[in-house]
Amino acid sequence: MSMETVWLDYDVIVIGSGGAGSAAAHAASGAGASVLVVAKDPIGCSDSKIAEGIVTVRGVADDADSHEMLADNLRIAGGDLPTPEITQAFAEDSEEAYDWLRRQGVRPRIDNDRGAPRALPIPLGGHTHRRSVGHDNGGLSVGHAAWNAIVQGAGIDYLEDAWFLDIVTSVDADGRTVLGGLVYDAGKGRLLAVSAPAVVVAAGGLSTLYFPNTDTMRGNTGDSFALAMRAGAELVDMEQVQFLPFCLTSPPSYEGLLAGEPATAGFLGVIRDAGGKLILDSVMLRTRAECAAAIVKAVEDGRGTERDGCYLDLTANVKAERSGVYYRNFLETSLSSVMVTVRQALGRAAAECKEQWEIRPGAHYSMGGIRVDEFGSAVSIESRDRVKGLFAAGQAMGGVFGANRLGSTSLSEGPIFGTRAGRAAAALRGKKNEHFTSRNTDAFEIRLNHYRGLLGRSGDKAGSSLIRELQRAAWKGIGPARTRAGIEKFLRQSANFRHDAKKIAISDEGLWNQSLINYVEFVNMLDTADAIAISALQREDSLGAHIRLDGGTTSVLFEKAYSVSTYFDEEMNLKVGRLPRPPTPWQRVLTHILRDRKRKLGMKILRLLPVSLQDRILEKRYRAVMGNVELDGVKPKSVKMPQEIEREAA
Amino acid sequence: MKVELVTYRKGQARSVIYEYVPREEGERPMVLDVLLQAQATKVPDLSFRYGCRNRTCGICTVDINGKPRIACRARARDGDKVSAVSTLPAVRDMVSRRDGIARQLRGKLPHTLRANDLNVEAPADYHALTACIECYACLDHCPMHARNLDSGGDKRNEDGAYRWGSPFSLLKLQRIRLDPVASGLDGEKAFAAATDLGLEICRDCPGCKCGVGIDLKNKVIKPLLEAASEPTAKD
Ligand SMILES: Cc1cc2nc3c(=O)[nH]c(=O)nc-3n(C[C@H](O)[C@H](O)[C@H](O)COP(=O)(O)OP(=O)(O)OC[C@H]3O[C@@H](n4cnc5c(N)ncnc54)[C@H](O)[C@@H]3O)c2cc1C
Ligand code: SF4
Ligand code: SF4
Ligand code: FES
Repeated sequence: MSMETVWLDYDVIVIGSGGAGSAAAHAASGAGASVLVVAKDPIGCSDSKIAEGIVTVRGVADDADSHEMLADNLRIAGGDLPTPEITQAFAEDSEEAYDWLRRQGVRPRIDNDRGAPRALPIPLGGHTHRRSVGHDNGGLSVGHAAWNAIVQGAGIDYLEDAWFLDIVTSVDADGRTVLGGLVYDAGKGRLLAVSAPAVVVAAGGLSTLYFPNTDTMRGNTGDSFALAMRAGAELVDMEQVQFLPFCLTSPPSYEGLLAGEPATAGFLGVIRDAGGKLILDSVMLRTRAECAAAIVKAVEDGRGTERDGCYLDLTANVKAERSGVYYRNFLETSLSSVMVTVRQALGRAAAECKEQWEIRPGAHYSMGGIRVDEFGSAVSIESRDRVKGLFAAGQAMGGVFGANRLGSTSLSEGPIFGTRAGRAAAALRGKKNEHFTSRNTDAFEIRLNHYRGLLGRSGDKAGSSLIRELQRAAWKGIGPARTRAGIEKFLRQSANFRHDAKKIAISDEGLWNQSLINYVEFVNMLDTADAIAISALQREDSLGAHIRLDGGTTSVLFEKAYSVSTYFDEEMNLKVGRLPRPPTPWQRVLTHILRDRKRKLGMKILRLLPVSLQDRILEKRYRAVMGNVELDGVKPKSVKMPQEIEREAA
Repeated sequence: MKVELVTYRKGQARSVIYEYVPREEGERPMVLDVLLQAQATKVPDLSFRYGCRNRTCGICTVDINGKPRIACRARARDGDKVSAVSTLPAVRDMVSRRDGIARQLRGKLPHTLRANDLNVEAPADYHALTACIECYACLDHCPMHARNLDSGGDKRNEDGAYRWGSPFSLLKLQRIRLDPVASGLDGEKAFAAATDLGLEICRDCPGCKCGVGIDLKNKVIKPLLEAASEPTAKD
């Protein structure tokens, strides 16, 4: 069976229907562009939907929280790798982005005294201020918002069950220009050749490379990065994969699922090794990278559990009677879906924090991504011009978080940069210059023929099992614990996988051709994994999320920051380079460090106080931000689970 | 443990018996675990949807022994029969075509709320409805949705949107009626859409069942039917 090809014309193609894609589509259509949204999952079904639903809104609870503070906070936590213009844009637009979500139906609880959304009582790990807003039903509210923006969007057409395959470009004296893209519309069994002067890549991350050690959606097969690289764009910081410190290790069905972030630890939570020895205190004030590093290093030292994990010990938080009630209320209201998962997987005593949780880092987010400016537009590479018409937003883009992403920042990042990229992309409409009048069918035909040629191909390999092998290799070689030897071994394995890819059998089915889908995703995962691997080789010391067991640690204060960049050259060889990054002025770094030290010291002292004194101090602190919580007021949401699961999980 | 997987390809349904290999002693896998293992081993190109493995993305719904279940949180039992949901047209294996449901709501809800003050609390019922994960388990036994499939047909307009509504669609419409930030006009438009999608069919129906336990009967259908019975201002 051959596949029909349908030719379409739009001003803007948006890949992805999560927080970033929906905002991009909305902004582009608002600016008068005709928009096609393409998503391989049902509309809105994305990481943005399965998230905990906590959103960063500058100044929401504290007037002292300035733009500069938020921008510095992101850059310092990110080891100075983030681009200053981008963190500045983030700081300036977070409130507007949040209001956009609210105009799509996201409804926070309101702090009536401030006349503003109510922030979580505890700043998420690494944030200097309370500026994270949680929501009933977590990310589902964001999922509904993304759905609304696309399904109800005037001037927006959309396709779900449609795999975006490749961005089509033309190259001439002016450099590269986007002509449009190819899409496999699996639901209808056809290929789409879509001409458009602008493509916004908002196709999320790469964590599926580490399955089952991940809490993200299956679709995170690195498509964003692979597509952009193949179209001539540059990636930055690809070695910076965020492994969330607290993911579950068992039972098998729950492996990798999110069990919390540093703030989950509360004022008194600590991390212990398998033998019960304390390996990290003041967990609540740490970044995710610091916590993950502590766990990974203990496991490498042979002090981990049988399942290569450690323990998150929250018990001290609930020993004290009065403050314990506040703490549990915080968990149940702010991290409700996590608590449901923990309760099902580890049981009631664990969910009540009376038992420690066995945890292990899991892939969560890619800080690295497509190198763009603060409008989401791909920027130029040393020797070549930018890819005109290529934009990125959300997890797909790089330069926002560098070496570490703070909690609750990604659900803001989506609408912030989605809106910016959508507007910038719409501005190219009508620019159907000489590149488009001829429709450049040749450029399209070359790519179309490649995919047509795959159909009905025989071979002795199955994409689905190769994907599993790749995932195992990636976890070992380019996972949370890295060495030169391990990374190099991975690169050799990856070269073999490329040979294997040629032997994957692909059926001739038009409708939902699973073997074609598996092949396409396998190749995207390989391209992305190689970019991670060669970036990881380039950075020989540990920095943020990138942990090199065979190297030293990078000092933010005393060493010149640089980002690693990767791209394909004209012969499709993967290249790597370094981009110097401007440092945050040292006075500001110092202020930040001193402030952080002071908080950690305070917390250490607190931990050493007798329980009764701890209790009084903490109750006062919690009460100041949470108001009065009834002593019997902890009615876990998780109790409302359908009886069937409650029974079966018990 | 043996599980029957009903594959569906090029218009042909076929049963494959798959024997699950436990990953640890005493493991009680979910149906999704069985599908994943089958795909990685004996049934390489098995098609099924999943995303979060955590009962949130709502896309892994399949029929287990003829009843819609969320595969990532349904324990597999020996002899289970797993197939695509019967309430939507089959595409391949466990994958069915979903998008006719959402499409019927195009243009029926406001695409941006224009209110000046966003700092208003939504009522508890608004949040109760936001808990919907779009799993479409509620299509089962819904006489309104059944009209879309009457006599084996699949009635969608040229956009692919179904003519008749479902609990999901009514939930989305009722949610806007509860939203304090939406205008009265938005609410009226939503109500008109509910009527048009076939709200009256609900009067003679024992009521719908939600896959994640939302009280659809009292929080969606009842208030809509009550509004339909109220005399309008013009009367
Ligand atoms: C369990 C969990 C909890 C989280 N909690 C929070 C939180 O509380 N706060 C916070 O700020 N962040 C949180 N995050 C992170 C955050 O949710 C994500 O980083 C963010 O949602 C990414 O948004 P996005 O729009 O870039 O991508 P996504 O929302 O992942 O959307 C990607 C889209 O691209 C589509 N797609 C992918 N590839 C293709 C292709 N080839 N063709 C067509 N379509 C494609 C997908 O179908 C999907 O529609 C959490 C993440 C997880 C996994
Ligand atoms: S109303 Fe319930 S059953 Fe229906 S789609 Fe939503 S969550 Fe699923
Ligand atoms: S009450 Fe209405 S929506 Fe619910 S199942 Fe019956 S007909 Fe369908
Ligand atoms: S995989 Fe997301 S609900 Fe089952």
